[in-house]
Amino acid sequence: MAREITQAIVDGVLIGGVYALMAVGLTLIFGVLDIINIAQGVLVILGAYLSYSLFTKAHIDPFIGLLITIPAMFVIGVFIHWAFISRLRGTERTSMTLLVTYAVGLIIEGILFKIYGADDVQINPRYVNSSVRIFGFYVGWVYIWGFILAVVLVAVVYALLYRTRFGRSVRAVMQDETAARLVGISVNKVAALTFGIGVAVTAAGGEVFGLTNAFNANSGYDLISRLLSIIILGGMGSVGGALGASVFMLTLESVVTIWQPNWAVAVYYAALVIVLVYRPTGLFGRKAVRAQ
Amino acid sequence: MSANLPWFSRNAVALGAVALAVGALAACSSSSSSSSTGSAAATGSASSSSSSGPITIGASLSLTGDFSADGQAYKQGYNLWVKDVNAAGGILGRQVKLTILDDQSDPNQVVTNYQTLINTDHVDLTFGPFSSLLTAPASAVAARNGYAFVEGAGGAPTVFDTQSNEADHNVFDVSLPVADEFLPFVDYIASLGAAKDKTLTAAYPSANDPFAIPPVQLAQAKLSALGVKTVYSKVFPEETSSYKPAADQVAAAKPDIVVLGSTDVPTVSSFMSEFAQDHFTPQLFIAAAGPDQGAAFTKAVGAGNATGMMVPDGWYPGYANATSKKMVSEYVAQYGGTASGVNADIAEAYSVGQVVNQAITAVGSVNNAKIISYLHSGVTLQSVQGAVKFDALGENASSDAFVFQWQDSGKNFDQVLPVGATGSVPIIATKPAWQS
Amino acid sequence: MTPVSPVTPVSPVTSKRLGTTAKGGGLVLLAAIAVLFPQVLTNPSVTNYGVLALIYVTCASAWNIFSGNTGYISIGQAVFYGSGAYAMGIAARDWHMEGTAVFWLLPLCGAVGAIIAVPFGLIALRVRRHTFIVITIAVFFIFQLMAFNFWFTGGSSGLNSPFLSWPAATYNTPFYYIALAYAAGSVLIAWLVRRSRFGLQLRAIRDDEDRARGLGVKAMRVKLGAFTISGAITAMIGAVWFYYLNQVEPQTGFNPLFDLALVLMVFLGGYGSISGPVLGALIIEPLTLWLNTQPALSGSVSEIMLGAVFLLVVLFMPRGIIPTGGEFITKIRTRGRPAVIPATTIGPASSGPTTPFSSGPPVSSGGAR
Repeated sequence: MAREITQAIVDGVLIGGVYALMAVGLTLIFGVLDIINIAQGVLVILGAYLSYSLFTKAHIDPFIGLLITIPAMFVIGVFIHWAFISRLRGTERTSMTLLVTYAVGLIIEGILFKIYGADDVQINPRYVNSSVRIFGFYVGWVYIWGFILAVVLVAVVYALLYRTRFGRSVRAVMQDETAARLVGISVNKVAALTFGIGVAVTAAGGEVFGLTNAFNANSGYDLISRLLSIIILGGMGSVGGALGASVFMLTLESVVTIWQPNWAVAVYYAALVIVLVYRPTGLFGRKAVRAQ
Repeated sequence: MSANLPWFSRNAVALGAVALAVGALAACSSSSSSSSTGSAAATGSASSSSSSGPITIGASLSLTGDFSADGQAYKQGYNLWVKDVNAAGGILGRQVKLTILDDQSDPNQVVTNYQTLINTDHVDLTFGPFSSLLTAPASAVAARNGYAFVEGAGGAPTVFDTQSNEADHNVFDVSLPVADEFLPFVDYIASLGAAKDKTLTAAYPSANDPFAIPPVQLAQAKLSALGVKTVYSKVFPEETSSYKPAADQVAAAKPDIVVLGSTDVPTVSSFMSEFAQDHFTPQLFIAAAGPDQGAAFTKAVGAGNATGMMVPDGWYPGYANATSKKMVSEYVAQYGGTASGVNADIAEAYSVGQVVNQAITAVGSVNNAKIISYLHSGVTLQSVQGAVKFDALGENASSDAFVFQWQDSGKNFDQVLPVGATGSVPIIATKPAWQS
Repeated sequence: MTPVSPVTPVSPVTSKRLGTTAKGGGLVLLAAIAVLFPQVLTNPSVTNYGVLALIYVTCASAWNIFSGNTGYISIGQAVFYGSGAYAMGIAARDWHMEGTAVFWLLPLCGAVGAIIAVPFGLIALRVRRHTFIVITIAVFFIFQLMAFNFWFTGGSSGLNSPFLSWPAATYNTPFYYIALAYAAGSVLIAWLVRRSRFGLQLRAIRDDEDRARGLGVKAMRVKLGAFTISGAITAMIGAVWFYYLNQVEPQTGFNPLFDLALVLMVFLGGYGSISGPVLGALIIEPLTLWLNTQPALSGSVSEIMLGAVFLLVVLFMPRGIIPTGGEFITKIRTRGRPAVIPATTIGPASSGPTTPFSSGPPVSSGGAR
């Protein structure tokens, strides 16, 4: 039993890394920019398909391929923001972003269906199933690298947010948009770049998701509710929180699966509700970072 | 809530505009399609009054959404059948025209689609959608309008238990009823001998789905009765964050046999991946669905790893049936790939067409009521999946379950069980280790 | 700052009379069309659109009663929808009810919705808006899983409805009228709430909850009241839907896309207005369904088209069709007339701090926070 629980915890932590990669982008976009990006799941799948195509057509290793997909998704993200989201005005802006991102998601999904068809695919480099033995059980290498990637990207984004001037502008916009404008920050530019970064990080999430799951264009829908709940649990705008919350969620599910897989997700959501009732800003959120 | 107009006045205009728009849309949709059919048909159950125009058939499939991988394959199967039938001169001398709509795996849409096909397009016949989950609301619409509902993908008991089917008996599933599909496998284990059986252990993970649970539970009951020890038996949600924890837990129990209640390729491929990473290879690994999807399966898991994987089915590409072989070669000619890459869904869809063809020919018209009573008359029909004979509920009582296995590094998909049955090749009794 | 009207019609009396006539005329026309629709267009495939559209009108309007007025975006309405459907299914099965008698269960389903809303609301409404959204999502998934796993819900196979032996040609019509009654009722309740003190309190909470509390509004009670009303209505129409489709399964009764569709409909039509949700539902639902019945468009093409339509609407009518439409009409009607008072224009680009979900009416009563 101890071995089973240990393995379940390790599983949870590693899968949590995968989900963190998918969620970090969303915490930037939702947490900082107040954009309810319902298309985040579809963007993950887009990233997965990009890595998949690079791998199957150009034989580029998925992790190396990130050097291409991350900038590519950055450009896509900036474009989406500039073309659609920045045009939104008015007091209902936040909720309109839901409509816009949903529409963009529909379009992307339709295009992916048209290009790739409905068959499920998976990115299968030679090492996809290799594993290393620790603690008496095996751990897959892709999960380990995925987790390392998650930590690295979280650190990079954190550094970006808290150690650079750009990051200061981003945080200023997050706290009070009007004041930021008054201080001379070009809010639109900052927002577009932040959105772009959020989508760029999602490329990594898609790549690791594609390595560990068979997927097709429809797989994005199942993801979005989980990702939303992760970032709220972690605290909006807190990238470290996204990692922590993902690990918490997946570990809880993984351990409960030992006894009752059917209820594992419900247990997670119940825990989520309890945490949020007592700590509404999430596990790692700062209190009143923004006026609500 | 903008300027100080009394809200009614601006709303009145808007609401009036909407009313007009809705009316226009409705008028358009009710008139446009009735001009597109060749025959001046009345509503469904009466026979088509024109006897020279094409026979129109309507179907709704999940071309997008949760079941899209299978839905697209069904579309290919239906279309292949139409092509073949028309090339052979049609049915009763009339060409067949098939309309396929996408239901996005959504019940509201599936009902709307069949309403449109039946009451706006006035199709002569309907084929079923994909998935037991969508078949029930769709078949109710067909039942009300007196249409026969021949389908190949709704095999779960719940499809036949609906009250509309019990009243109108219009649902006909040409494929294998799912509950018994693992029985040839059970028989094989029994044939290994009681002494051996008592040393074997088995795991029964299953997705929470009406298609997957009944056969797995039956297999578990029967195998346990033979003495096979159950080391894992749990149901996991159809949609879950990751299959890894469940798969790892199964691997930790080190069962000799794994009976997986899967409904699609991603579930099976996840379990296989995780087993590979755990350096765990079960001696026998059988799944309810997934390995029967031909190239879609081998592409996702890797052809080498597919070797040894077993799946029950009513059909396989190598089936020694002339029509089946012809269908397979046509499919390969049109879509590429190899014979073993042909998805079982293609054969299921094709069989639907064949059964309907034989019914129309026997009855001499496209009268749905006559077709329904013909199909219930105990007659045995032929299809690429073998014999088809419907019982009172509409299940195919004649279909035999066979178990198939991928062999030869994923190049061949062969029938292995029942041992010694026509067409069975030797089974790979121990699954080769995963390649990594 | 007191609300300022930027443009004043030159002749208030004429305008008012015009407004009232248009108001009465529009409503009568609409009611006539709605009632006569299935009598004139009798084809069941057409009335099917009507039934499903009206179901969504009811839900969108009910959603708006709560979320539109309080500003708390709920993505968990499916909790009520599915619960109502399952309540009817379980009751009809266990009490062996059949035929039209089943419709007498509807008030029971409403009660179930209300009963669920109370604890749901007590937990969810204590938190602020962002967190509220996620809690509604979480509760939604918990309910979906309960439907999958409890012994009395039929598990993954779901529940079949009792049999209705109505003839095909007229099967849809009673459902249409029932759904119409619910839709009308939902809109009526929304209107009554809007005009009442209760509604005023709700909107006060939306503008600034703390200040409202300070002014004596019993926030939790008020929010819970609206939430319960919204939940009861949604539960009842969910039961109607179940009976119409003859089946409910966990993933169709508790369908995440349902919640998303509601939000879209309301925002497309105009958040916060009474007719906005109606318009949004009447456009989106039939359009989505219809697109997929056109073979050439079925499938991924319809998705792309739908997305493009949404984008266009949002970009050109960012506040939704009704408010933008209203402004457009105002612009036309008052063209060429000088503003009597130097305008503090309420233009579409009024930014101010876009604080999350602080969606006050454009005639804002608050300064920056």
